[in-house]
Amino acid sequence: MSADLKTELNKLTNVEHVATQLYDKIKDSKLEENLPFGDHNDDELTKLQVENTKLKHRYAIIKKSILSLQSQTTSEMHDDDTFAITEHLEKVFTQAIATAYPRFSNVPAIIAAVNASPKFGDYQCNNAMGLSKKMKDEGINKSPRDIGLEIQRCCPASPIIEKIEVAGPGFVNIFLSKEFAVSSLTRMLREGVKPPKVPRKRILVDFSSPNIAKQMHVGHLRSTIIGESISRLLEFLQHDVIRINHLGDWGTQFGMLIAHLEDRFPNFLNESPPIGDLQEFYKESKKRFDADESFKKRAYNRVVTLQSGEPAATKAWQQICDVSRKEFQKIYDRLDVTIQERGESYYQSRMLTVVEFLRNKGLLELDDGREIMWPDVNKSGIPLTIVKSDGGFTYDTSDMAAIRCRLEEDLATWLIYVVDAGQSTHFHGIFKAAERAGILNPNIHRVDHVQFGVVLGEDGKKFKTRSGDTVKLSDLLDEGLKYSLKQLQERGRDQILTPNELVEAQEAVAYGCIKYTDLCHNRISDYIFSFDKMLDDRGNTAVYLLYTYTRICSIARNSGEDFSNLAEILDKFQIVLEHEKEWKLVKTLLKLHDVLMKCANGLFLHFLCEFCYEVCTVFAEFYDNCYCIEKNKAGEICKINHSRILICEATAAVLRTCFHILGLKPVAKI
Amino acid sequence: MAGEDLIIKFQELGMSEQKAKETLKNANLTRNLQLALAETTQPLSDGVGMLLYHMATKLKPQISGQLPLLVRYIAERKLDNTQRVDAALEYVLKCGQKKNVNVDLAELERECGVGVVVTPEEIERVVQQKIRGTYKQALLEQRYHFNAFKIMQDVRNELKWADAKSLKAAIDVEIFDLLGPKTEADLIPLPKQNEKQPKAKVSSNAKPEVKASTTSTAAADDDSANTIAELMKTKVHFHAPGENFKTDGYVVTEHTERLLREHLQLTGGRVQTRFPPEPNGILHIGHAKAININFGYAAAHKGVCYLRYDDTNPEKEEEKFFVGIRDMVEWLGYTPYKVTYSSDNFQQLYDWAVLLIRKGLAYVCHQKAEEIKGFNPPPSPWRERPIDESLQLFEDMKHGKIDEGAATLRLKLTLEEGKQDPVAYRIKFIPHHRTGSEWCIYPTYDYTHCLCDSIEQITHSLCTKEFQSRRSSYYWLCNALNIYCPVQWEYGRLNMNYALVSKRKIAKLISERIVHDWDDPRLFTLTALRRRGYPAEAINNFCAQMGVTGAQISVDPAMLEAAVRDVLNVTAPRRLVVLEPLKVTISNYPHSGPVELQVPNFPQNPALGFHKITLDRVIYIERSDFKLEPEKGYRRLSTQQAVGLRHAGLVISVQQVVRDPATGEVLELVCSSESAEQAEKPKAFVQWVSQPIELEVRLYEQLFKHKNPEDPNEVPGGFLSDISDNSMSVLCAYSDQSLSGVKVYDKFQFERIGFFSVDPDTSGTRIVFNRTVGLKEDSGKK
Repeated sequence: MSADLKTELNKLTNVEHVATQLYDKIKDSKLEENLPFGDHNDDELTKLQVENTKLKHRYAIIKKSILSLQSQTTSEMHDDDTFAITEHLEKVFTQAIATAYPRFSNVPAIIAAVNASPKFGDYQCNNAMGLSKKMKDEGINKSPRDIGLEIQRCCPASPIIEKIEVAGPGFVNIFLSKEFAVSSLTRMLREGVKPPKVPRKRILVDFSSPNIAKQMHVGHLRSTIIGESISRLLEFLQHDVIRINHLGDWGTQFGMLIAHLEDRFPNFLNESPPIGDLQEFYKESKKRFDADESFKKRAYNRVVTLQSGEPAATKAWQQICDVSRKEFQKIYDRLDVTIQERGESYYQSRMLTVVEFLRNKGLLELDDGREIMWPDVNKSGIPLTIVKSDGGFTYDTSDMAAIRCRLEEDLATWLIYVVDAGQSTHFHGIFKAAERAGILNPNIHRVDHVQFGVVLGEDGKKFKTRSGDTVKLSDLLDEGLKYSLKQLQERGRDQILTPNELVEAQEAVAYGCIKYTDLCHNRISDYIFSFDKMLDDRGNTAVYLLYTYTRICSIARNSGEDFSNLAEILDKFQIVLEHEKEWKLVKTLLKLHDVLMKCANGLFLHFLCEFCYEVCTVFAEFYDNCYCIEKNKAGEICKINHSRILICEATAAVLRTCFHILGLKPVAKI
Repeated sequence: MAGEDLIIKFQELGMSEQKAKETLKNANLTRNLQLALAETTQPLSDGVGMLLYHMATKLKPQISGQLPLLVRYIAERKLDNTQRVDAALEYVLKCGQKKNVNVDLAELERECGVGVVVTPEEIERVVQQKIRGTYKQALLEQRYHFNAFKIMQDVRNELKWADAKSLKAAIDVEIFDLLGPKTEADLIPLPKQNEKQPKAKVSSNAKPEVKASTTSTAAADDDSANTIAELMKTKVHFHAPGENFKTDGYVVTEHTERLLREHLQLTGGRVQTRFPPEPNGILHIGHAKAININFGYAAAHKGVCYLRYDDTNPEKEEEKFFVGIRDMVEWLGYTPYKVTYSSDNFQQLYDWAVLLIRKGLAYVCHQKAEEIKGFNPPPSPWRERPIDESLQLFEDMKHGKIDEGAATLRLKLTLEEGKQDPVAYRIKFIPHHRTGSEWCIYPTYDYTHCLCDSIEQITHSLCTKEFQSRRSSYYWLCNALNIYCPVQWEYGRLNMNYALVSKRKIAKLISERIVHDWDDPRLFTLTALRRRGYPAEAINNFCAQMGVTGAQISVDPAMLEAAVRDVLNVTAPRRLVVLEPLKVTISNYPHSGPVELQVPNFPQNPALGFHKITLDRVIYIERSDFKLEPEKGYRRLSTQQAVGLRHAGLVISVQQVVRDPATGEVLELVCSSESAEQAEKPKAFVQWVSQPIELEVRLYEQLFKHKNPEDPNEVPGGFLSDISDNSMSVLCAYSDQSLSGVKVYDKFQFERIGFFSVDPDTSGTRIVFNRTVGLKEDSGKK
């Protein structure tokens, strides 16, 4: 509980106490004088008393709920029902090491997935060599192999381990239990794909964040796509995610925009101004601002009136913002992005209080008329400018106000800023300063600047239009649609699909491949934007994944049986894992939780893309080797392998889950 | 098939045209008959048509699947009389607890005696044996008044499939052989046995009104009894425990058989009922019926009855109501098997709600209360929201994350009256009387009631008729959760005329200082009735007289008063009391000082003891028993007319009237006395007291002027405008010393006045009596 809340509660308790005392006093003196008491029909009072009871009750309930949720989360940590395999094995082998060598009980187990030959098992514990070296340092001579055997001996029973072998110089090879795999898969088919259990957090993701009166361009694309997928990933892990659009909706430029609006659309107070192209409007006003001294003066004046909350100026500001907002929303709708707007203007009053707060803490220093703050006690690095010499505020100020608001008002414990790598220094400074000011506590809070590289044109230079302008996002999306339609037509899909299905496929492919290309690279590096590449139906592309998914879905459909109720099928048929390729596919599917954890820990989504690709290629192997439906020479179905179709369905379910996080829309027909 | 065609078809079955037309109005029956007709092909042989009709009228919905089988058996003449058809229906119904079970045909035929032929000789032999043996004595005594039906039943026990007509004929012949022709005495109807019973006693000039809104009054009469035990044993025909599936409308699922088996194991086949009041008010006369039916039915069948506080609404519950309810149940003479609380089951109810959501049978809705009120509200736009979403939101509701009124949990079901998706849970940030701050979502009646019944393995869930429309949701909910499903039976509500039972309105009467408290004897709360002196037994008998029909009954208080008199008449000892004393000095007082007299408590039955009263020179008589100017036919004391003193053996005559010179008011009489043996027999005897103690006596009249004070047509000004002026008066009465040691609720008959009961206000020397009822209805003195 924050200190403020505690103080407030104490205050309230006192007020209540005093009120009760007063009530008793009045009662006593009334009774003393033989005046009537008790029949006070004061509706207002009764209403307030009821409200007080209700608030107290709700407070008690919420407090209790928090406690129970907390203990639930802790108990869930021990409840190995839905777990990531690697995590589970780490626990098991950490315990094995601790049992075998109590002196090294704090050595964490190193678990690696084995992708090589199946004879080396599915996972490996690679601690033996390290331990051997440590012991040698202490003068004990023990071969890694012996240590491996000792770890094997001390390994506690786990439902997921079929057997353990020690191979070579001391690799502890772990073989997964098929029984476990079957039951996991069965549960997944019955209950849907469940997330691995992690302690729930409230996480605030700041992404997209375009500026009012400017077009969204390709630079905003990455933040928007990555931010959306990170939000989806964390929501899937059951976190409480707040998605924030830190819109650039405040600043001196609004003075000139308002002044220009007054001239161009004098009737703006009564009628929404028909601004078609806000960017053009911006350019016009900027031109006047630079050339016309009296306009410039008026523009400055409008900044002041806007900041003072004058209604006409506020209205003008809102109207200008609305124009942009509508444009942005179109893009968000096309990309299926959900985000809550909370622009810089939101922090106006909070900037005042944060300045006051920092000043009171003695963290501000005067520097040439400005007030600055060093992020670091040692005054190293670059100081933040909190108050300009003219008394105005800067991005540093608003970001300090924002971080404080997010941690103290929203009570988020994890902040994620999805902003390009260029801002790294700035955010580093903000995080440091917030820590120094006691706003951010690294023991409780986690902050990440999720940075990303730039989008390059096919020439390997910054992505531009032929005329050298930045590429407008809406134009880019339009072009994507054209490319994908062309591709679908080349494949003759326009002949097979209905017009609606065609549009659906066209959009799924176009937007899907734009997002996927962005996500499938390590976000820190730059990437080359090429529609031709991203629309390739081979390799790690959205198109390949979507086609594979559609093919998997068609298998159950083509069996001629109804697989819509999987629970019923599972009541009748068991999954059996006999064929080597079946087993390989299932083991791949079971890595989902590991992959999700890995993505969430580093906030890297390319791991998930790689996983999808792996699933699809392993599936292809499976499908080439294992008949799901056997047909006779006449082409009639003569045998249905239900177990394999169930594996197909599980594969589809896993892919669907990943697609959702990556923002790919699976289509039934493509 | 058009109506005309059907009428012709029906007539072919053997109905008259009139009957066919009537039948057509009964949609269920028509459908059954149509199905039956569809099953028959060849022309029907004689009598088959009417048997089909008979079967169609008795076919319960839960066995409608067996209709083709029954039709075939009837058409094949395997079921050739109504008795066999009935047996077949009964057998099929018995199989009915298993869903889609195949009827064992061999067993069916055995049960129905298919092919069994009883010869006239066999009938004759058994009838002779019975009449000449078992019944001979009784027949000779009662002659033709003997109910021959008993013999018929007895014979049937041996010859199950004997033809009814032949049997009746054989019995008639045999009786005639024994008794000869009927004499005149045989033709005189027997006097009605229950002529002495209370209903007959209600005098005709103020006949209490028994209004039956659905069935005829005659039906209500037939279904009534004098005591609850008699009513429950003889007049009420509920199902036997475990045979739930035989009742109308019961829904059989694939689990029913197992659940009923488990139910019987848990209860041992015992009847289990419950009285489930909401602890948010005081019990009133209407509740007495519910208490009697639930506890009474259980008691009459050696079962048990729970007292369950239906405490799901935390807003209105107070400790005093819990105590008060139990108090009243016990006062009426019943002991709850266990006292339980709906809130005991909050966790289970919650878990079940989650299960319903998981099954897609419930969802979280955000329509406001106002939106879903009234007729034909819009359907919920949230009905088809994903299950996971509802689960999460329901948990959020529980955790206090959602505002009051912003979300409810609703069941996906339509009630009979067309109401869509009743609410199962709502948010209330109010601490609960028993669960404290544990919950902020509380289940509704609709949701809680049947589930608590199921948990308690209730066999008969008895409730008033208003809940008939909830029966299907009751069954739906139990079945949706695959838990034991009790049977709901409905009975008509009991409404008392001139009474107000709404808690809010009584509170208004109290705050307006029209009555004193919840137990003011002018009210019809049970505490008020107790305070007024109504014996519990009388209230119970009254309920028995009302019966357990489905009709809503409105009754005048006179009916209840009659029941009260019946009980008090034989339980309240007599005392002499004068309400408005007039001093009488006996000039020739025959004794030297005060004498003690032994007076019987019950003059008709001296075996029930005596008490002592004192006679002295100065006595007091009722002021109204003396008249200066007597009217014609006046029988008591006047200057011209002597009167006898009850139990004193004296007759007094007025010698002198002492009057207040200022007002002319009679202050005292000086009388001479004669021994009763010597004096001419006076026209009347009056009560008197001497050396009296004072009593405060409170007399009550009806509180309201109109029968339905809440009805705006009858009382446009609202119930507060309908208060009688003198609904209560207080007198300072005199009684002899024998009343000095009374205890609260002691009841007496003040001779010639009425029945009185000691009020709880009595303390030390202050003795307060309430008039319970007068001796007779409308007891104007003559």
